[in-house]
Amino acid sequence: MSAALDEAWFSALGEPLGEAEHAEISAYLQGLGLPDLPVRAASSWQEAGALCRQPADAWWQAEEAERVRLQCSARLDPADPAWLQVTERLHGAAAVAAARSGCADAALIRVAAGAATSAAYQQRLAQAAGAPASHPFMRKYALYSGGRWPLGVYGERFAIF
Amino acid sequence: MSAYPTVKTIEEFRQQPAEYQDAVRKIVRSHALNELYGAQVFDEPAIQLAPTPYAKWLSCRVAMEEYHHHVRFKELADQTGVRPEEMDTKNKRPLNIFELPLESWEQFCVIKMLGDLAEILQVEDLLHCSFVPLRNIARTTMPEEKFHAQFGLDFCVDLVETDAGRDKVQRAVNGFYPEAPKFFGAPGSKNNEIYRKYGIKLRSNEEMRADYMARAKSTVEPLGITLPEVRLAA
Repeated sequence: MSAALDEAWFSALGEPLGEAEHAEISAYLQGLGLPDLPVRAASSWQEAGALCRQPADAWWQAEEAERVRLQCSARLDPADPAWLQVTERLHGAAAVAAARSGCADAALIRVAAGAATSAAYQQRLAQAAGAPASHPFMRKYALYSGGRWPLGVYGERFAIF
Repeated sequence: MSAYPTVKTIEEFRQQPAEYQDAVRKIVRSHALNELYGAQVFDEPAIQLAPTPYAKWLSCRVAMEEYHHHVRFKELADQTGVRPEEMDTKNKRPLNIFELPLESWEQFCVIKMLGDLAEILQVEDLLHCSFVPLRNIARTTMPEEKFHAQFGLDFCVDLVETDAGRDKVQRAVNGFYPEAPKFFGAPGSKNNEIYRKYGIKLRSNEEMRADYMARAKSTVEPLGITLPEVRLAA
């Protein structure tokens, strides 16, 4: 779990996506049983905030079904002090990235931290359940830990900041 | 404020009268358990009820902050000698406020708006506590508690923009609020008298409850929401 403290959380927001990241997104969507959708790249905190204020039920439910399935074979303690240290690191990283972009929206910073927390939790759950490195939660985590904020599927597009 | 001298360390704590130590343990245990119950029965389940990723992720972060509050109080409970069985949620019945089943997003927003307001008052009363490690946890926790209550208020402000939303918020207030004043304990409490004698807490249960009810009223009134009548024990 300590490796999560050293990742590049939120360090590449708004930067152009590379080929490897496009491939990661495709594999992630395919792994969730969703179609390979066009990508919308958000360019600001405000745009990211506006996007994720929209419902994204189909995508959320696809992830949720997988989380529930994994929880049949693995359980994690949300009050584990080492895990909480990771969540504080995520909040700090979100706050620093937002400050660098001139965003002082405390709620939106917490939203970003909560999104990364959710992704890190899913990745730990997949690991604990013995899922392979190609599991969609591992792929999403790779995007987060590489500095991105995957925002989800809105309409017919996958959004990422 | 009490003239009781400040107790700066765990070592100094162990030199205090048994009555002081017991009083501190009761408060620390209560906060540790309440933070855990709140996270388990309200904050974590709310992630599924939230309508958008924005609200879900914000709820997720709030849940983590509440778990972190629990851990901070639990670490102090361990240091001050609270027995592990006293910290087990299986052995300690939760406050009535935590027995309300969480069924809707509107209900969660109301619980954050009014329930976390109650927690703010409890933490405020520890900001000048004679036991410095407890005071420091209160001071560390307070900004997040304030954010949580504001989170609830902000979402309620959005919800009451429609008649249907206002009805749901009003129903949630009607369901939650009547139990909330009990969060402040019985009038004429012997425990509270001891807390004040040692400068652990500042105010009586009655004073805190009256303040809470006034602040709750001024919080909901601008939303066009009314508080149901509450019958207090004599």
